[in-house]
Amino acid sequence: MSGPTSPTAARTAGDIMIEADGVSRAFGSLRALDSVSLSARRGTVLGLLGHNGAGKTTLVNVLTAALPPSSGRAAVAGFDVTRAPREVRKRIGLTGQFASVDPQLSGRDNLVLLARLLGADRRSARVRADELLELFGLQGFASRRPGTYSGGLRRRLDLAASLVGHPDVIFLDEPTTGLDPSSRLNLWEIVEDLVAGGTTVLLTTQYLDEADRLADSITVLSAGAVIASGTAAELKAQVGTCTVTVTPDSAAGPAVTCAALRQAGLEPVPDRENGTVAVAVEASKDIAQVIRALDRAGIGATALSFREPSLDDVYLALAGRSAGAAS
Amino acid sequence: MTTPSIGTPNPAPPVPDPAPGPAAAVWNGSSTATQIRVLTGRSLRALVSDPGVLAFGLFQPVIILFVLTQVFTGMGKSAHFPAGVSYLDFVMPAVLVDNAVQSAVQSGIGVVDDLKNGMVARLRSLPIHPASLLVARSLANLVRAAIQIAVVIVLAVVVLGYSPKGGAGQLLASAGLAVFITWTLGWAFIAAATWLRRAEPMQNLSVIALIPLMFASSAYIPVSDLPEWLRVIAKVNPLTYAIDTARALALDLPGAGAAVPAVLISAGIAVVGGVFAVVGLRRPL
Ligand SMILES: Nc1ncnc2c1ncn2[C@@H]1O[C@H](COP(=O)(O)OP(=O)(O)OP(=O)(O)O)[C@@H](O)[C@H]1O
Ligand SMILES: [Mg+2]
Repeated sequence: MSGPTSPTAARTAGDIMIEADGVSRAFGSLRALDSVSLSARRGTVLGLLGHNGAGKTTLVNVLTAALPPSSGRAAVAGFDVTRAPREVRKRIGLTGQFASVDPQLSGRDNLVLLARLLGADRRSARVRADELLELFGLQGFASRRPGTYSGGLRRRLDLAASLVGHPDVIFLDEPTTGLDPSSRLNLWEIVEDLVAGGTTVLLTTQYLDEADRLADSITVLSAGAVIASGTAAELKAQVGTCTVTVTPDSAAGPAVTCAALRQAGLEPVPDRENGTVAVAVEASKDIAQVIRALDRAGIGATALSFREPSLDDVYLALAGRSAGAAS
Repeated sequence: MTTPSIGTPNPAPPVPDPAPGPAAAVWNGSSTATQIRVLTGRSLRALVSDPGVLAFGLFQPVIILFVLTQVFTGMGKSAHFPAGVSYLDFVMPAVLVDNAVQSAVQSGIGVVDDLKNGMVARLRSLPIHPASLLVARSLANLVRAAIQIAVVIVLAVVVLGYSPKGGAGQLLASAGLAVFITWTLGWAFIAAATWLRRAEPMQNLSVIALIPLMFASSAYIPVSDLPEWLRVIAKVNPLTYAIDTARALALDLPGAGAAVPAVLISAGIAVVGGVFAVVGLRRPL
């Protein structure tokens, strides 16, 4: 009944631990996932970036065999999620976007319960629970119920819960939302340790510094579709190596500025929220090109900054581009 | 790097990984029986750590027991009231069945809680049979109902001097029937929980379904003394059979044969409820 979808494929492509191939998922008329393809090798971190409603959680649900895809194929640890969901579940850990712990059991008892359900005897269940409590700095809260925890503590317990069974592949859906800076750093270190030990991680996040630091490869989702993927460096290369940010004065405004820069052969991206315009340029000497274009159009700028690209620029540029294409 | 777990047929043997960290000490999964045992223990533990739930559950049957016996004993008996039977003797089985029905609702509420707090989501991501959780909830609730029924009986005996003619053995049998009703009817509410997934509609459902079922039955007065239209309902009401059986047993009256339809109907409810519950739980969250 269960088993790898294709034994030879699983063995030869053994290093691919997460794989989606044209996965779509509709909710009524809404296409929450639109032909998504991605893959991650053993011992790497795949970062999944996207706005609210981009489809990150839906994709995690499909990959963890909680939600059947409408079409397409997905495999985790070499097992097809629709045909061998049990094999998939044996090898994964999931920290969902919303905490999943029993509020009536103490922190330790929550972990012990999961270990017992995974087949541990009483003793090794307790040993494993204590290991994880220590790893996440929860020893002091072990005998309290999660109902009395702060949001961040509950989040940490939830993360610990997903690691109980030593999973090969871990899915973390916005794992650091609600964590304070030091807990975030602590979590990053835990993820790095796990990955060094051969665990594969899929991590969704809204924090670009998080993806930049942890992810070996990044997939950007927008309205259910993959709009970009690659390493952080590759994504940065896609939007140019450097960014000039222009803050036009109120007489001009972002729209006029964009038009002027486009006329000069540049590719400006407006950031309406901040009233600025970002321009990708090849190198620092190209700032002159931007200034000349503004000067020619008679646009005054209140501020002009130059920055090496960050993932934020990539994200903004890609999301802006796809939003432009959609409208 | 080798990939020991990939392509290995079920069950995957825990192959030690040379690298430190994951895949070191992987357990081999648990049997469905173990899952049910562990999860039942978890629900029972919540019962011990939060005895308020138990106390609150006792509230209604105890109120009914004391208020009804005081009120109706003072009013005198209706035309078809069995001769030589006190109102306490008459109503006690109904109190037990009412308690059983109320407890059954609690099985469903427990499942709604698990859906809300994410336990179902967590268990669904693990190699665990999802029905284990439902069976565990229903078993834990059976224990809870048995404790409540025991407390009600002890109170009736000690405070009100309840001493049915059938003797301890048959009283126990009638209590056993009530517990059985809890367990079977519980599956109807567990099924409702997996489909409705919220506590309020569950509570509403239980009030809408249970008040008419209890009053249009032989619970509080003999069926022959009910008005015509209620009598029709009472005669097809499975609770009438349950109450008649419990009463016949406790009072050593003829009519324990009603046990057959009572058990069959409630077993039917359990089977249908169980199927719907498992299907309902499979639906995406
Ligand atoms: N069960 C459901 N029924 C109907 N629509 C759904 C359901 N789940 C998700 N959606 C829709 O699918 C889209 C993608 O949702 P999803 O939760 O995957 O987004 P997300 O990227 O995780 O967003 P966020 O950052 O807010 O968590 C949204 O438009 C959402 O409204
Ligand atoms: Mg989400």
